[in-house]
Amino acid sequence: YVTTILEDAKIYSSHAKKSNVDADDVRLAIQCRTDQSFTSPPPRDFLLDIARQKNQTPLPLIKPYSGPRLPPDRYCLTAPNYRLKSLQKKVSSSAGRITVPRLSVGAVSSRPSTPTLGTPSAQTVSVSAKVGTPVSLGGQRFTVQIPSSQAAVKTATPTTPTVQNVLINPSLIGPKNILITTNMVSSQSTASEPNPLKRKHEEDDDYDNL
Amino acid sequence: VAVEDQPDVSAVLSAYNQQGDPTLYEEYYSGLKHFIECSLDCHRAELSQLFYPLFVHMYLELVYNQHESEAKSFFERFHGDQECYYQDDLRVLSSLTKKEHMKGNETMLDFRTSKFVLRISRDSYQLLKRHLQEKQNNQIWNIVQEHLYIDIFDGMPRSKQQIDAMVGSLAGEAKREANKAKVFFGLLKEPEFDVPLDDEDEEGENEEGKPKKKKPKKDSVGSKSKKQDPNAPPQNRIPLPELKDSDKLDKVMNMKEAARRVRLGPECLPSICFYTFLNAYQGLTAVDITDDSSMIVGGFADSTVRVWSVTPKKLRSVKTAADLSLIDKESDDVLERIMDEKTASELKILYGHSGPVYGTSFSPDRNYLLSCSEDGTVRLWSLQTFTCLVGYKGHNYPVWDTQFSPYGYYFVSGGHDRVARLWATDHYQPLRIFAGHLADVTCTRFHPNSNYIATGSADRTIRLWDVLNGNCVRIFTGHKGPIHSLAFSPNGRFLATGATDGRVLLWDIGHGLMVGELKGHTDTIYALRFSRDGEILASGSMDNTVRLWDAVKAFEDLETDDFTTATGHINLPENSQDLLLGTYMTKSTPVVHLHFTRRNLLLAAGAYSSQ
Repeated sequence: YVTTILEDAKIYSSHAKKSNVDADDVRLAIQCRTDQSFTSPPPRDFLLDIARQKNQTPLPLIKPYSGPRLPPDRYCLTAPNYRLKSLQKKVSSSAGRITVPRLSVGAVSSRPSTPTLGTPSAQTVSVSAKVGTPVSLGGQRFTVQIPSSQAAVKTATPTTPTVQNVLINPSLIGPKNILITTNMVSSQSTASEPNPLKRKHEEDDDYDNL
Repeated sequence: VAVEDQPDVSAVLSAYNQQGDPTLYEEYYSGLKHFIECSLDCHRAELSQLFYPLFVHMYLELVYNQHESEAKSFFERFHGDQECYYQDDLRVLSSLTKKEHMKGNETMLDFRTSKFVLRISRDSYQLLKRHLQEKQNNQIWNIVQEHLYIDIFDGMPRSKQQIDAMVGSLAGEAKREANKAKVFFGLLKEPEFDVPLDDEDEEGENEEGKPKKKKPKKDSVGSKSKKQDPNAPPQNRIPLPELKDSDKLDKVMNMKEAARRVRLGPECLPSICFYTFLNAYQGLTAVDITDDSSMIVGGFADSTVRVWSVTPKKLRSVKTAADLSLIDKESDDVLERIMDEKTASELKILYGHSGPVYGTSFSPDRNYLLSCSEDGTVRLWSLQTFTCLVGYKGHNYPVWDTQFSPYGYYFVSGGHDRVARLWATDHYQPLRIFAGHLADVTCTRFHPNSNYIATGSADRTIRLWDVLNGNCVRIFTGHKGPIHSLAFSPNGRFLATGATDGRVLLWDIGHGLMVGELKGHTDTIYALRFSRDGEILASGSMDNTVRLWDAVKAFEDLETDDFTTATGHINLPENSQDLLLGTYMTKSTPVVHLHFTRRNLLLAAGAYSSQ
């Protein structure tokens, strides 16, 4: 921000053929910038004026039997030449995070607790039911609870990147729409680094998608 | 300061120049303060109304003329003396320390250019005038003349309690003339229908009471009197859409349900069914329920609009054009066949807005849905194809509320640009612009006869506008915080309003007076609804409660004679406790919407918040 303002101020001062950038130039630069980025609603007398104009025309009569009453086609959005892709069945198995938020009305669902990314290890920690590699999820919705595994592995790092297994707890699968966070993490780091950055990013993702 | 063309505005602004020695402003003010405090008790309350506007105008003058240090010390010295309900304004004011700050703040500019209205009895006014004209350097008198409008009435001076009930808005109170126009608050006549005795009978419609040969049973809910209600607007005052066959069917359904309606009262309270939105993460910003309670829509901060079916009947969209050409158009159940079974689901999500959705409204015929959002547009969605049909662009600033007219076709929207706009679904530009508020329009509602629109605003006033010519016919002041909910009584005579100050105020539209105050809530009231026959008023608030109030008792025995209307002397009984019929707490869900079904079951909606 400051660099932009100072650059603008330099331009103004050189336009005014001054040798140094003046406080006035800076003030002018700031004013021009705020006029560009921030607008305020129109002043009251202007509003009263246009209101008076608009309110003088009588209300138009309504034609009977005219089907759906919409403005002329060029003002409508009834002919889009694009379509939104649905989010279903789009879970990719590659490393990436997918967050599909859903809301349920009336159904009780529990939000999964923020997973603490434990150490990447080859062992899987079983919860209640082990489900085989959940890498490809076929359009279903799950709640995911990644249990915190805090066994600190002190010794050497695993040589190959390991994928943390995502375990699905079927007892938590509610009727339809539950928040899922599928998280594929591959990391080679040592145990002491639980990847706090990635976790924060995931929470941001949740926030964005909500 | 950039001033628009109006000559009187610029004259007022240019008079905001040096009016005497800035260092003496404190003395002027404290001199006046001393005088008022020494005056007679009966006059003191009325004259104390002067403190706040004078304080603000003097402060703004100092700031405008760039006497920063004097302005600051003036503020420090006297801001504590002001009434508690002006605290929010004072906080905003304390951040305005330089002339440049005043430029961008539209509300402050409006405050400077509009006159602050004070209602003072003649005796008190004479006292004040005499005192101010005696002093040699009568700067205060100048300010009073230029920035204040003193509405004088003959009669007893008002007590502090009476004054406190009415003040609080950004522009003082309402002038007497502002509330003098005739308002047609009656309801429009419904066309007469015959409710069939059982479903197999053909329904006979009788418009204007001409009987058919069959003589089916007449309904008793509709009005049968032929003479025009003097308080009702003429039927064709504003053009309204004609009733289609589906609308007539709807009305018959409505009447059948009405016949089975539970009569509510203090002895018979409604059951409340609460719809909690789980996992909404504080994103739920707007809710609406259809009149027959079949669908519920939620507007969210992630700019989606989600429609749910509340009944077991799922939401279906219409088949594609190719499929539609294949169906038999003459079959009896063609309305069922055009629906695509493959798309049946309980939830439909509508994407399109680019900002949080702050208001939603179903059309009375359940074909359309409106949503307004922070991106400045109001979108019309079809509930048959679940796609967006139109985006109405007019407000270039966040639109805070929108509502369909009770007859469909028209809708109103209000937003940050301080105006409310009336639109029709088939015009891409608004039909009417209601300008006059000093701050954002936060809540907009149609009167049941669709001829008037009430708007509540952040400037703490409620204005009633005439749809026909756009005039403001009523101004109601008295709330001490921005208004967030409005509800018209079903008979059209009364208006209930709720604001961030936690009070519900009741207004008589015909006379233009406050007739009741319901205290009890401790936080902003976001939902107000009268029961179907107007016996109970339900209010829902951020303090996680729904309260039921006895509306019949609140509106009986009104003292509305000429004296009250002329002077605005209102005597509100302290009967909030008597009127309160029940308080119902939710676990921790603020109540965002209330709706009485046709049988007087109360539905409430809110998003669970885990705090």
